[in-house]
Amino acid sequence: MAMKLSIFVALIALLLPLLSTAFSPETPTDRRILVLLDDQSIKSSHSIFFKSFQTRGYDLDFRLADDPKISLQRYGQYLYDGLILFSPQAKRFGGSLDLAGVLEFVDSGRDLVIAADGAASDLIRDISTECGVDFDVDSAAMVIDHTSYAVSKTDGDHTLIASDEFIQSDVILGSEKIEAPVIFKGIAHSLNPANSLVLKVLSASPSAYSANPEAELSSPPSMSGSSISLVSVVQARNNARILISGSLDLFSDRLFGSGVQKAGSETTFEKSGNEQFVTELSKWVFHERGHLKAVSIQHHKVGEVVEPAMYRIKDELEFSVEIYEWSGKSWQPYVSDDVQVQFYMMSPYVLKTLSTNQKGLYSTSFKVPDVYGVFQFKVEYHRLGYTGLSLSKQIPVRPFRHNEYERFITTAFPYYGGSVSMMAGFFVFTIVYLYNK
Amino acid sequence: MAALENAKGTALRYACGNVLSFFILILIGVLAFSIRLFSVIKYESVIHEFDPYFNYRVTQFLTKNGIYDFWNWFDDRTWYPLGRVIGGTVYPGLTLTAGSLWWLLNSLNIPLSVETVCVFTAPIFSANAAWATYLLTKEVKGTGAGLTAAVVLAMVPSYISRSVAGSYDNEAVAIFALIFTFYLYIKTLNTGSLFYATLNALAYFYMVCSWGGYTFIINLIPMHVLLCIVTGRYSSRLYIAYAPLVVLGTLLAALVPVVGFNAVMTSEHFASFLVFIILHVVALVYYIKGILSPKMFKVAVTLVVSVGVVVCFAMMAVLVAMVASSPTKGWSGRSLSLLDPTYASKYIPIIASVSEHQPPTWPSYFMDINVLAFLVPAGIISCFLPLSDASSFVVLYIVTSVYFSGVMVRLMLVLAPAACIMSGIALSEAFSVFTRSIKFQMPKLLDDSDPVPGDITSGNSVVQSNQTKVEKHSAADKSEGTLKERPQKKSKKKEKEPLEKASIKSQIEKKLLVLPLESSVLAILLLVLLGAFYVVHCVWAAAEAYSAPSIVLTSHSHDGLHVFDDFREAYAWLSHNTEVNDKVASWWDYGYQTTAMANRTVIVDNNTWNNTHIATVGTAMSSPEKAAWDIFNSLDVKYVLVVFGGLVGYPSDDINKFLWMVRIGGGVFPHIKEPDYLRDGQYRIDSQATPTMLNCLMYKLSYYRFVETDGKGFDRVRRTEIGKKYFKLSHFEEVFTTHHWMVRIYKLKPLKNRIRGKTKKSKSSPKTSGSKKDERVKKNPWH
Amino acid sequence: MVKTTSKDAQDLFRALRSAYAATPTNLKIIDLYIVFAIMTAVIQVVYVGIVGSFPFNSFLSGVLSCVGTAVLAVCLRIQVNKENKEFKDLPPERAFADFVLCNVVLHLVIMNFIG
Repeated sequence: MAMKLSIFVALIALLLPLLSTAFSPETPTDRRILVLLDDQSIKSSHSIFFKSFQTRGYDLDFRLADDPKISLQRYGQYLYDGLILFSPQAKRFGGSLDLAGVLEFVDSGRDLVIAADGAASDLIRDISTECGVDFDVDSAAMVIDHTSYAVSKTDGDHTLIASDEFIQSDVILGSEKIEAPVIFKGIAHSLNPANSLVLKVLSASPSAYSANPEAELSSPPSMSGSSISLVSVVQARNNARILISGSLDLFSDRLFGSGVQKAGSETTFEKSGNEQFVTELSKWVFHERGHLKAVSIQHHKVGEVVEPAMYRIKDELEFSVEIYEWSGKSWQPYVSDDVQVQFYMMSPYVLKTLSTNQKGLYSTSFKVPDVYGVFQFKVEYHRLGYTGLSLSKQIPVRPFRHNEYERFITTAFPYYGGSVSMMAGFFVFTIVYLYNK
Repeated sequence: MAALENAKGTALRYACGNVLSFFILILIGVLAFSIRLFSVIKYESVIHEFDPYFNYRVTQFLTKNGIYDFWNWFDDRTWYPLGRVIGGTVYPGLTLTAGSLWWLLNSLNIPLSVETVCVFTAPIFSANAAWATYLLTKEVKGTGAGLTAAVVLAMVPSYISRSVAGSYDNEAVAIFALIFTFYLYIKTLNTGSLFYATLNALAYFYMVCSWGGYTFIINLIPMHVLLCIVTGRYSSRLYIAYAPLVVLGTLLAALVPVVGFNAVMTSEHFASFLVFIILHVVALVYYIKGILSPKMFKVAVTLVVSVGVVVCFAMMAVLVAMVASSPTKGWSGRSLSLLDPTYASKYIPIIASVSEHQPPTWPSYFMDINVLAFLVPAGIISCFLPLSDASSFVVLYIVTSVYFSGVMVRLMLVLAPAACIMSGIALSEAFSVFTRSIKFQMPKLLDDSDPVPGDITSGNSVVQSNQTKVEKHSAADKSEGTLKERPQKKSKKKEKEPLEKASIKSQIEKKLLVLPLESSVLAILLLVLLGAFYVVHCVWAAAEAYSAPSIVLTSHSHDGLHVFDDFREAYAWLSHNTEVNDKVASWWDYGYQTTAMANRTVIVDNNTWNNTHIATVGTAMSSPEKAAWDIFNSLDVKYVLVVFGGLVGYPSDDINKFLWMVRIGGGVFPHIKEPDYLRDGQYRIDSQATPTMLNCLMYKLSYYRFVETDGKGFDRVRRTEIGKKYFKLSHFEEVFTTHHWMVRIYKLKPLKNRIRGKTKKSKSSPKTSGSKKDERVKKNPWH
Repeated sequence: MVKTTSKDAQDLFRALRSAYAATPTNLKIIDLYIVFAIMTAVIQVVYVGIVGSFPFNSFLSGVLSCVGTAVLAVCLRIQVNKENKEFKDLPPERAFADFVLCNVVLHLVIMNFIG
């Protein structure tokens, strides 16, 4: 039986064949980005943001959202690796692009940035909903916070929020701490707590709520407190990353440059945290950080090098896997002490933490349990901000062969003696009997 | 001088008789072989049904990798992820037989494919079985009866059903082994030769290798020994026939991996050990009796009996303790269901779900052994006429096998040889009585003045010559195209009993009681007529009833013959369109075929050794889509295969088996409850069906898009319109449906890439994802 | 009562011994052989009672080889016993050949099974 070991190196593998051209497992960083704008003025009002991309080597293609020539694909190949939707008011896209097209783009493993604002269209809301983010249904509502607003010249605009409730993740926001609060002006969204794919990156303070600032507050606001998310990211199961912000102004040059003082706080920052926040976040979204890959899963018996097609119960084996992280330019060894391997058959029989040699190689050795069956080496590594690693490698474990059991057991010697004496006795008897006759 | 000539003449006649019976036997073999070829001629040379596919696959492995790899074969393609140790769980007799047959043919430069060898193994061995029957019956009642029994066995429908060409199953070989073991036992019993005793043990070994039914032997023979002892027929031949068989047989049986220590540890075998001990006590008693004077013997008896009773009690206590300490009180489920026919249906749905394990109905007796059923009593009576050790064994055989066949349809197969032997004896006795009376009356007719034939000796020799005549006659019958087989008859039973009595009397009174000529001739004619009826029935059974391979189906309708080759279509699709390591889930009936034909890993198969695993699949099939998806996903299943007969009216499809899935699943996972699937105790799939039924995976996979075929969704098996016609699948997608919709293959959809938010139409989605977790906790047996 | 029983027993044993003394030598050899086999079996059973039945296959083959030998020897004894009328036409040579064959099979199986 030609037992071929299959290797499912599955970076959530379903759509892997579609990840082609520039966006490849080898260089996961996006290169070509389509930016859809409501009007060309955004290009200049958000120029710092865009420029930061260009300096990092990205290729930006600006289009108006209703440009009839927009098309993500040509001949079945995607033309872009990332999509930035700075078009909160677009009722529909031009060209062939529509809601399904955007989602397909994401499902093919490509990245998406969505910025909404007070007048976000249904289209943008639908895209966000499909990604697991629910904007406040009241289209006139904005996030209002009477305690942690940004102090500014026009005092009393409590929709201009200064928030420093960032997600605690170096991977997403970079290792450098963001000192200044981020100024936010836009709409609220909420996340489904059961949805494990979506993360709040910037959340509102407990005193925030979402309501129409122009109208009297007649009923309790539909969203309030820290359940309001201002900026969220989604990492889909295929590792496509999505950034959803309730504010387009967040990315604007104006807020990048403005100083900030949080209400009730004495410290005034020369410059808001927006630029750092947004830039670091965009690095994460476009896979400059936090992208892992696992290569060369190997296992073999202790003392051997060749990978067997099958193990026997109670074999000692060694398992190793190499894990690298993409630094934006090259693959660097990923160092961590919490990578675990399971030896799995319906439930993990062995669960071991892999030790690393600091150069990306993780290895361990263990004894095959005394159970036969079709096992899998499984590495399930899901860490906040990192792409998930789900590796499995199937390997059958067989019982002892009939000639592998212990032989010549000491306790059994009397039995051996007994039967040998019978055989000897048989010969003696034969001789005696025949001779006697 | 005259006596010498007479003797010479007799010797010559015997020689002629021997040659004749040799040729008759060859013809019987050809008959047995060729009557089983209908399946090849009508269909094609394929392996049949389910289990044979597994045996075929094992044989392929054996021929490719040799015996040692076979012995140690750990199969990772079935019972995923548990795997199965094939070498240790399979009865290797059949595979080794076919494998060595193939090897022999190939080394003789006859290049046959393994499949061909497998297809024809069963017919070859049925010829062997016919010869073994001849030998056995000859030991019991002489050549005439032997030949008759062999002919009858060669055609008995019950055996044909299991041994048509292509039905490559254990029973095909095992029946031969069974009869041959019995023959050697009787032979040893009659001759008292250690040589035959050794052969007997080896034949028993072959039987153990071949079939789990060997326990029948190891219980029947001790029963017979016990019977002999109780009826005072103990002889030292009995000792020689039995004692070495137990020791050698047990050792040899323990060599077969699948039996192993069961040969001494389970209570199916304890009877033989008990009788072994009793036999030794009895032998000792007889020995001491032999060397002592009667008076001293009496003294000895009092002593020995008092000691012996104590010893016996001790032994009983030990045995009882051993039985009690062994699992399931030492009885496996199948054996328990033999003793208590209701046991299986009460406790083990998985055994009860197999149709072969159901008790047979009366028509099936008539179908399977036909007129033999009426001849058996006559045969029993004639066995009692001189009751010898051998004939008492045959009587015991038929009595026990009748009982067992009443418990389980499958064991009808064990009954068939016994019935054939009995019928053979009955027919041959009847013929000899009738022909003898004719023979005696012939001279009377010709010459009235001649007195009744004289003294005993001449009477005897005439009887002998008559018997030879009978043989010749029957030989002529058979060689003339096998259509004029002998004998059977209902009315005959009536005539027969007085006849038998008459013949006893004639022996006792040394006078020949002669039947009137006319009635004799008439009776013979009737016997021949019934024989012809039997032959016609057997040929019909072989050609029509039992030769369908069940992998290819045909149906006749007004516009001709339809062939449904959907199974192979589906398996071919699987093997061409799926990854090598993909797992396919289906109900266990199709496991063997999937591994053998599609070469894909399956979750469960027809070797139902792990009830929990089967129950898991049953649970998945009876759960709603989402729960089923979770179960299948946890088993790494990629594809789900269901068999659906609603379009073409194929009745043994998964919907009809579905209640068993529910029962088996519910037996392990109590949240599956059978009443949820029944409306007022009725199993239905129309609009009256319960919501649980209409939402379970099996229903959905079977009837998905079914309404598109005729616009109404009319199920031709259940003869009703289905209850829920328009629905979508959320977690499965249809990837392949065969031409007649008999096999439908679905693929598990992968997890959604994104999780939707909750606004608008997705209001329910947070609930679903929440409840999904809950279900996983509750319903997925692996979490 | 006890006295009569013991007296009877003594009579019995005496009678047995005298009866047995009349047995031909070759049968006596067989008897000796049987006793030897049974003793070996008993020793092994006692041993298994002490150390437990771990290598069960070894134990089984050890004991069964003794039992088998004994049984076969009894069969041989039955067949070659001239007083036994049932086997008049079976020559002792043939009986012995069968016996050897049987033993060979037995010991082959034992060798296979013991390890």
